[in-house]
Amino acid sequence: MIVTILSFGCQTSKELQQHYENQIGDTPFDEAIDNPNFKFCDSTKVLHKRAYIQYTGGEKALEEELIKNYTFQSALNNFTGYFIIRFAVNCNNETGRFRIEVLDSNFKKGHCSKALENHILSIAKSLKQWNHANYRGKDYDGYRFINIKMKNGNIIKS
Amino acid sequence: MKKLIFIVLFLVLTIKSYSQVNCYIFPEGSPERQACELCDEAIKHPQGSRESQLLFDEAIAVGPKFAWAYYEKSVPYFKRGYLLEGLDILNEAIKLKPLEYLCYRAYWYWQYRNYTLCIQDLEAYYALPKSFIQFTPGGEKDMRIILGLAYARTGNYAKGIKTIKECLKTYDSEDDYGFADYHSLGMLYVKSKQFDQAIETLKKQLTINEDIADTYYYLGLAYKAKQNTSEAKNQFEKAINKLNDVGRYRNTNAGYNVYLSDIEDALKTL
Repeated sequence: MIVTILSFGCQTSKELQQHYENQIGDTPFDEAIDNPNFKFCDSTKVLHKRAYIQYTGGEKALEEELIKNYTFQSALNNFTGYFIIRFAVNCNNETGRFRIEVLDSNFKKGHCSKALENHILSIAKSLKQWNHANYRGKDYDGYRFINIKMKNGNIIKS
Repeated sequence: MKKLIFIVLFLVLTIKSYSQVNCYIFPEGSPERQACELCDEAIKHPQGSRESQLLFDEAIAVGPKFAWAYYEKSVPYFKRGYLLEGLDILNEAIKLKPLEYLCYRAYWYWQYRNYTLCIQDLEAYYALPKSFIQFTPGGEKDMRIILGLAYARTGNYAKGIKTIKECLKTYDSEDDYGFADYHSLGMLYVKSKQFDQAIETLKKQLTINEDIADTYYYLGLAYKAKQNTSEAKNQFEKAINKLNDVGRYRNTNAGYNVYLSDIEDALKTL
């Protein structure tokens, strides 16, 4: 009886506690959406230092590639707002674990057509010129995010 | 020596805004004191770690009016692309202490390129009767410079220039200027096609800090507009040399990025 009460007590306090990964931003594999072929070189040491993961040609090249691959479909899209796409770059410069968030122009949760969201995600996934993090002389896997700003369905350059 | 004074000044002022709170100012046993001590424990763990987040949660549970806990808890969310989550948490700190945390939210609005919201927050902040000088978290720019740049990013160069000029006027001497303040002003003069003022201001920038590659680029653009081709070429070449200099000053929160290809394109069109 006492054991039951104690274990019930533990259960309740655990349920009240919010779940956190080891680090804010750690993104566990989700078989419903993630590419099973993407692997971390060392999943115990994935960096959360976004500035260390760079795109060949800098942010300008990254944006130009996004814009080049973006297909504006006026029937689907007069979206104004932001897409924040978080992802990981492993030590072989491969990307995975993509997560997308849609925000409106007031930085509240936004809405756009599923077709646009999927298109934005697919052009983010098609970026291939990532350079993994090299921190204090060592190669690392790491997390990064990009922020795509849109006005009336057009990507706005930074 | 001047640079050293800058660094010390910026650090002191930045630390004043966002630094660790002295827990002893709260009565022993009070919810704020308990929350504060839990936060002190939390920041001993790596930022964004589960351990730190759980301690911040505990701090918030015992002292829900202790603003610093919300602020510290929010930081890794912003840095890692969890903007909505970060805002949800930071907004609680702002409700409790707008004077201390409004500028921090404005900074992240700026970082995430929402210039309208950044302006809203900074205008609200500077309208507060006890607003004081606040800097970007890295300490390199007065938030009034950020406000000026944000106006410019919404297309209002005149208001951007006015805001930066008014900010600089409040400093006692040029010794108090940031490493890139004249650069920011000169750049906006170029963008608003006031090329004489741009040249004058960007030359002043070089007396304070000659290590920003973009300064030469904007000088080049101003000379080009004044049809002084040889000086424009000279400045563009200096910009390229500076860009290749690993010791150059990286002007964080510049507001506008200049790339090698921009300078090369400008040279080609001379």
